[in-house]
Amino acid sequence: MSGSSRVRTPHRSLRRVAAAAMVLAALGLALLGGANGESRSTGSRFATPDTFPTGEGKAIADRACLFCHSAMLATQQAKDSTGWEKTLTTMKNWGAPMNGSERDTLRSYLLARFGPRPVAVPLPAPVPPPKR
Amino acid sequence: MNRARAMDRRAFLATLTRAGLGSAALATLPPWAVETLEAQLPSTYIVRNDRPECWETTLDALGRGWITPSERLFVRSHLSTPRLDVATWRLEVTGKVRSSLSLSYDEVMAMPQTEAVHVLECAGNGRALFALPSTSGVQWQRGAVGNAAWGGVRLQSVLQRAGLDSDAKHVWFEAADQAPLPDAPKFLRSIPIEKAMEDTLLAHSMNKAQLTPLHGAPLRAIVPGWFGMASTKWVTRIRVEDRPSDNHYMVRGYRYNYPDEDPASAPPVEKLLVKSIITQPVEGAVLVLTPRPKPKKPRLRVQGYAWAGPSGLRLVEVSIDGGKTWRPAGFMGDSAPMAWRSWATDLEVTPPAKLTIMARATDNGGEVQPMAARANAGGYGNNSIHKVSARVRL
Repeated sequence: MSGSSRVRTPHRSLRRVAAAAMVLAALGLALLGGANGESRSTGSRFATPDTFPTGEGKAIADRACLFCHSAMLATQQAKDSTGWEKTLTTMKNWGAPMNGSERDTLRSYLLARFGPRPVAVPLPAPVPPPKR
Repeated sequence: MNRARAMDRRAFLATLTRAGLGSAALATLPPWAVETLEAQLPSTYIVRNDRPECWETTLDALGRGWITPSERLFVRSHLSTPRLDVATWRLEVTGKVRSSLSLSYDEVMAMPQTEAVHVLECAGNGRALFALPSTSGVQWQRGAVGNAAWGGVRLQSVLQRAGLDSDAKHVWFEAADQAPLPDAPKFLRSIPIEKAMEDTLLAHSMNKAQLTPLHGAPLRAIVPGWFGMASTKWVTRIRVEDRPSDNHYMVRGYRYNYPDEDPASAPPVEKLLVKSIITQPVEGAVLVLTPRPKPKKPRLRVQGYAWAGPSGLRLVEVSIDGGKTWRPAGFMGDSAPMAWRSWATDLEVTPPAKLTIMARATDNGGEVQPMAARANAGGYGNNSIHKVSARVRL
């Protein structure tokens, strides 16, 4: 019995490492790759990114927004300038830590990345491939 | 491990199993990683926001039964989830009452108990589907809804025990969740005294198990036939007043602000609107049907749920010709006042075909689900007809 146990041990360890790697990979996919993709494999997914994208304003967003809520509350939005202005006014009134110039930077940052949806325009007819 | 955690873990393990992993995989992870996985990958949810928790149930998960299990019911929290100890928790009853009360958890449990199945739907369910040019709030699609058995005491019993003053007109629910910033408003809602006395519950159990913190433990309001914002979680105080609450979430939030109308007179979001969802087939499905002896056509099973506000649900109809003709679906299984109902119908179809299946519900007041609900800035009350595209072949 003990002999067979010794034989199996390395195999079991390898399986454990592989299983752990798969779970961590699944976690990584959920945390990092959940942007808007339809994923029905596990039935669970993050609908939008959980971090603010890089750019001037990210540091302000991280400080002013993440104190109360995750980045997803912003990354799922599509707001116009008036919409973001209204949101930032409310958040400032509620005590979000940002001064006037930081607020302007943050509005530009959010508007550039989570701006309004484009107005629907008819797509041009598909161009047939050139004949050879 | 408490019961709720155990259930969450079972659900999570089930997810891993479906993904080809097993409990052995979890056993190889340090406890913090298991905790993180459980927190980050709740089974059958679409995480719209992870802090505070806003988790939507997939239609596939909703379709598995009339009762939505606790670990599948959508979660909508405005503020961080408080963890309350029933040993020290109290329910205060104050304001326009003859005698104020301070009840322990055991005293609440010693009162006459009741249980009722009710549908709970977030007022913003379907907000993302309005496709507003400028959004706000959590972008829910169709799964911020579920149907559960709520156990607890009638609010009427608690109010009668305190005794109502003649000017008792509104019941304010105060709760233990705290805004992180001192100037941010707490989440506070009130309901009229008539609704409080009629059928509102103070629930401590869900589907015969103790409420979990995510769903409002140890005690939450359940206001049947109203959108979910009325059903305050983590209740600690009931204030009886002569006026509605003036909280942000009463005065500015949860109002139907329609374009070109005065925001000051925007109607409040209160009662549920008549609505149906299709849980089968799922969007984009390709279905292989069984042939039948000619001249009979193959049949396609279409099913889902429908619900309505206090007037009750009358009818569900299905169309596969763009709404030119509708045929009634049959109700199935259990029913209860202000619960949702399962419905189904078998449609005769001619494969191969690409179908657009629509379902519409009608309530007892004659309200019919609209093809497109009226868009409003807050994205509330989207009860537009659900359309599902599917292909059928032999």
